[in-house]
Amino acid sequence: MKKLIALLLATLMVLAFAGCGSDNGNNSGNSAGRTFIMGIDAEYPPFSYMNDAGDYAGFDVEICKAACELLGWKFEVFAVNWDQKLIQLDANECDCVWSGMTILDSMKEAGYVISTPYFDNTQVLLVKSDSGINSSSDLAGKAVAVQLGTSGEALLNGDLAELKDTFGELVTCDSFLKCFTELEGNAVDAVLVDYPVAKSYADSKGDSLKIINEELGAEQYGIAFRKGDNDTCKAIEEAVQKLVESGKYAEIASKDEYKEIVNNLIFLNNK
Amino acid sequence: MALSVMIEKMSTGFEKTCSIFFLTLLFALPLGVVIALLRMSKSFVISRITQLFVSVLRGTPLMLQLLAVTYGPFYLFGTSVSRNKLIPVVIAFSINYAAYFSEIYRGGIESISVGQYEAATILGYSKMKTFIRIILPQVIRRILPSVTNEIVTLVKDTSIAFTVSYQEMFTIGKQIANSQTSFTPFIVAGVFYYVFNAIVGFVMGRAEKAMSYYKQ
Repeated sequence: MKKLIALLLATLMVLAFAGCGSDNGNNSGNSAGRTFIMGIDAEYPPFSYMNDAGDYAGFDVEICKAACELLGWKFEVFAVNWDQKLIQLDANECDCVWSGMTILDSMKEAGYVISTPYFDNTQVLLVKSDSGINSSSDLAGKAVAVQLGTSGEALLNGDLAELKDTFGELVTCDSFLKCFTELEGNAVDAVLVDYPVAKSYADSKGDSLKIINEELGAEQYGIAFRKGDNDTCKAIEEAVQKLVESGKYAEIASKDEYKEIVNNLIFLNNK
Repeated sequence: MALSVMIEKMSTGFEKTCSIFFLTLLFALPLGVVIALLRMSKSFVISRITQLFVSVLRGTPLMLQLLAVTYGPFYLFGTSVSRNKLIPVVIAFSINYAAYFSEIYRGGIESISVGQYEAATILGYSKMKTFIRIILPQVIRRILPSVTNEIVTLVKDTSIAFTVSYQEMFTIGKQIANSQTSFTPFIVAGVFYYVFNAIVGFVMGRAEKAMSYYKQ
């Protein structure tokens, strides 16, 4: 029995040391060959999602992969729990959060390093075509769904708090698919969601859903890095700029599956 | 956000957490008896079907069962998703917990020696009377610690209701944590759950004491 315990403890120690080793590897500056772990929401097409083959794909994933290739970094993807993304970033589970993430003032105040924005986004309302809802003022007394941890939710607790107070009920879901299921199953009357997500979903459903675009809380996407990790942020930003200059960025953006977001990409529209 | 505001907001969710907890116990405790009796049925078919039912409920995650009960009918038959999420949540929790309770009950009932049944028959007790007057009080005393275990787990499991967008306490805690970029709500939630469970532990301890007149 004692021997067994000793063996178990020894195994644990070896594992613990192994853990240290890989951690050091991650944090050893920005030399070529470092491993860069990209933190994504795996349910956020077309920015980041799991494709039919079971691999992580999406616009952000492709850009990050190309940037890592340019820098000579080993590229890995880590699917975060979206409402705890910053805690997971702090815990070194990933080196950045890069997944259609809205830049919030609270992130900057908390000290996270945020890249220059690359995407301009607007919140829209997705409703059933036959619901008779034509503007946000029609939502009085209705049930509205929003995904927890998204900019739509932050907006309802901030600038749109007055609108929220007119709702009959605000339902927070843990994924967009659930929000949409609630809408189609008549459990809620509208979903407040980012425009590209609403557009691609509404298109996939024919005429049954419609988008109400009142340009609610126009906002921007960026990449979040750990506190003090300015070097990594700078390296990634420079690599992305190189991709923009070489035309690789536009090439990726021109793919058919990204047609909903291409107009909102800041780097392409400034040219 | 001030701590008092945070606690106040989470208290509103705590009411919903309590609704899940008490309603689940209300339905699962008696339903467990029914399942246990079916499981011990003399009919081979009924016993086997119940065994399969229990094995599926214990062998799949509660989260999956919650999703199936809430959204399953919509995906399969296109029916509406319930607006009052408490209904599907309580259905899923009750069935799941009844499965666990039924096995605890069965263990308790089968632990009573055959001799007691024989003695009761000789004394002229009917089957029903034997069970209610003689067997059940002993069973309850024996299974109380295991039942307490399940009840404590139930308190913590209520947080899974977030999966189907039911706005219970932990969901509200997550919302606050998210908007404030703060870890404090999780600590508050932890305290809420711990205090709740301390009360459950106290009540169940008293119940065990009350039953100890059978001390052997």
